[in-house]
Amino acid sequence: MKKKIIFRLLLAAFIFQVSFFHVEAKEFDYKSAEFKAVASQFACTCGCGQDHFECDSNTCSLTKDFKKDLVDMMNKGWDKDKIRKYYVNIYGEEILTSPEKSGFSLTAWILPFAVLAVAAAGIYFVIRKWVKRKRTDEPAAEHQNSEDEVEDEILSSIIDEERKKYL
Amino acid sequence: MYLFANATIYIGFAVAIYSLLIMTLGISSKNQKLVNSGKGGMIALFICASFAMLSMFYLLATSQFQYQYVSDYTSSELPIIYKLTALWAGNAGSLLLWTFFLTLYALMIAFSRKMKGNPMVPYISAILLANAVFFFFILGFIAKPFVLLDHTPIEGKGLNPMLQNPGMIIHPVTLYLGYVGLAVPFAFAMSALILKNVDDFWIKMTRRWTIIAWLFLSLGNIFGGQWAYEELGWGGYWAWDPVENASFMPWLTATAFLHSVMIQERKNMLKVWNISLIIVSYALTLFGTFLVRSGVLTSVHAFANSNLGLYFLIFMAIAVIGGLYVLMSRYGLLKRSVGEFSSFVSKESSFLINNLLLVGAAFAVFWGTIFPLVSEAVRGTKVTVGMPFFNKVEAPILLSMMFVMAVCPLLAWQRSTVKNLKKNFMIPAILALLGMALMVVLGIQKAWAVIGYGVIILLLITHFLEFYRGIKARRKMTKEQPLVALYRLMIRNRRRYGGYIVHLGIACITMGIIGSQNFDMETMKTVPLGGSIELKDYRLNYDRLDQKKEGINDIVYADMTVFKNGKKLGSYQPEKVFYGNWDQPSSEVAIISSWKEDLYIVLSAWEDDGKATFVVKINPMMNWLWFGSFLIVIGALFAVWNGKYGNVTPRYTGVRKEVS
Repeated sequence: MKKKIIFRLLLAAFIFQVSFFHVEAKEFDYKSAEFKAVASQFACTCGCGQDHFECDSNTCSLTKDFKKDLVDMMNKGWDKDKIRKYYVNIYGEEILTSPEKSGFSLTAWILPFAVLAVAAAGIYFVIRKWVKRKRTDEPAAEHQNSEDEVEDEILSSIIDEERKKYL
Repeated sequence: MYLFANATIYIGFAVAIYSLLIMTLGISSKNQKLVNSGKGGMIALFICASFAMLSMFYLLATSQFQYQYVSDYTSSELPIIYKLTALWAGNAGSLLLWTFFLTLYALMIAFSRKMKGNPMVPYISAILLANAVFFFFILGFIAKPFVLLDHTPIEGKGLNPMLQNPGMIIHPVTLYLGYVGLAVPFAFAMSALILKNVDDFWIKMTRRWTIIAWLFLSLGNIFGGQWAYEELGWGGYWAWDPVENASFMPWLTATAFLHSVMIQERKNMLKVWNISLIIVSYALTLFGTFLVRSGVLTSVHAFANSNLGLYFLIFMAIAVIGGLYVLMSRYGLLKRSVGEFSSFVSKESSFLINNLLLVGAAFAVFWGTIFPLVSEAVRGTKVTVGMPFFNKVEAPILLSMMFVMAVCPLLAWQRSTVKNLKKNFMIPAILALLGMALMVVLGIQKAWAVIGYGVIILLLITHFLEFYRGIKARRKMTKEQPLVALYRLMIRNRRRYGGYIVHLGIACITMGIIGSQNFDMETMKTVPLGGSIELKDYRLNYDRLDQKKEGINDIVYADMTVFKNGKKLGSYQPEKVFYGNWDQPSSEVAIISSWKEDLYIVLSAWEDDGKATFVVKINPMMNWLWFGSFLIVIGALFAVWNGKYGNVTPRYTGVRKEVS
């Protein structure tokens, strides 16, 4: 049975040219947290839209070599920032999965929060204006707490229901 | 068949132009006969779109490979269901589906019982017809669905195996229903403005349509995520790909609209803002289509790059400029009602903050999506803006949103006093803090997770209190049984309680997201036959590797016996499928699911001696994500359902015209 399986697998490998599915001789956990920290910084350019941590080395030869290089660097004791610097020097910022937090790219990070802050300030002033206007209109507005409000709603829906019975 | 199929498109195009012109003429000359003729045209248009769809279905089902579309996306051995669903696998077919939904929606509104005799109908119809003209133009001249090849290939190229999944049958359909659905609120808003209607009628009608579109958009995204999780073998469900972003942005702005519209109803305020949200949501659906079809950004959802995107961009520009023009021309009318707030702390204010955060989140997604283009234009350097960016930027915004969602139900309309706040929030806040402390004691170190779960605890308690207080108040007056009181409370105020169910769904989804993003574990190991892999409490024994044939596909699979804490869970078979007509193999993962976590097993590679490499992942709380999605659907359906109570068709009190 075992022989049969092996024969079949060999046949499959021949037919489907799955030679690239061969497993690396040296075992390294490409799904470990430390490798993730390094590899997920870099975007794979094979068109898969994934980073080098996610991209499957069985279907993408690009990431296969890239991963190997990363492991070599990690073995040399390079940390993720050093590796990052190394690749940015060669390929430019495009290789990263997110823009740098410096120079023009910093705007990518800051602008959403800047816009939010400005809009929040705008809302603050608008509400203040509206509240002021209300106070000048009717200085002592009765407050109604939400519990009364729920009761009111229920009461009015019951009245409405009764009304429908007779109309 | 060729003539018939193409005739449906070109006649459709002609009918769309005719209907649009005659409708516009009818409106300007106040001639009901012309308007009726336009409405007749809409029926004809729907029939054309239906026949075009049926023709395509027929061609796909009977494998008529002389047609380019059929040969590009199907093959003869494909199961019939995937032959049919190949209709939305490509550019032209998916646009045909879009057109079909558009004509369907247009017809539903033009002949709706609720809209009978309403002078808005011709305007709404005209706007939707303008959309239809655009889509039939695209189908007729740019992305033609029925193109004949010079020769008839013996076999088609086949459907991308990734798309041969039940999730893919439904994901595009729901997404398109959502996209097209957002054209309806846009048409309503524009016609109300043109008619100078500033009453509540259109806003109430629009809200229902927006919830429906929102529901489909949510479903589209959820099905997409589920498909990615099960089919792509990377263990994730959302990648912040430009195309995913394109469907997330209108979802966010539509959600903002659904909330701010409540302020308009209650206080007759924020009209300009609400209409802007509708315009933006609609424009974003077109922008998304532009992104998918133009190839300006790298996306995994690759449709063939073409100049199609450009047409969408132009159409979007026309729609936005037209929309803004109408809005500006009626600005004075909308501004007539001045805004007044009783207090800083009130439900109204919390809705404004909700809008700020939702639109802010949408802006952040937008900015991140287009930043590569901006960077290239400014510096000449194209940068990649991927998952790490979006996760970091969106997490604080959406978490703040969750906090507002947790607090909002207990805030009173008009005004909340400090005493009131204390009374309402003391207990939930203490419980949430206790929960957070407990998490820290139990060893949860990650700050985001602790804060996130703390907010969710707060949300669950405030929502529970909201239900509890409603039941208590009802029982005080009616002396009903608690469950009866709950049922009656809910069905008499569908919108509010439907909304709360959706909130609970979002809370569950957030739980799933926080769990799976912060506490996932994975490993990749190569083991010999009989070997085992250990990860956390799991042990996976690798028993066998074999191959089988299914149709023209060859499947290599591994038998794995999985143990958890020494207890056998069962045998599972992760597979690798090699397709007869597709180069890339794909992974069929084995998933062992529970409320706590998913064990996700991928057969990655193997050697001739039987050694195999597996990727094993633990994705915590994934089921909460799917359960939350289910709650969203239930809540949204509950809110729009036409019950006996409430939801009475709003009465039209706007401008009267001679034609309707």
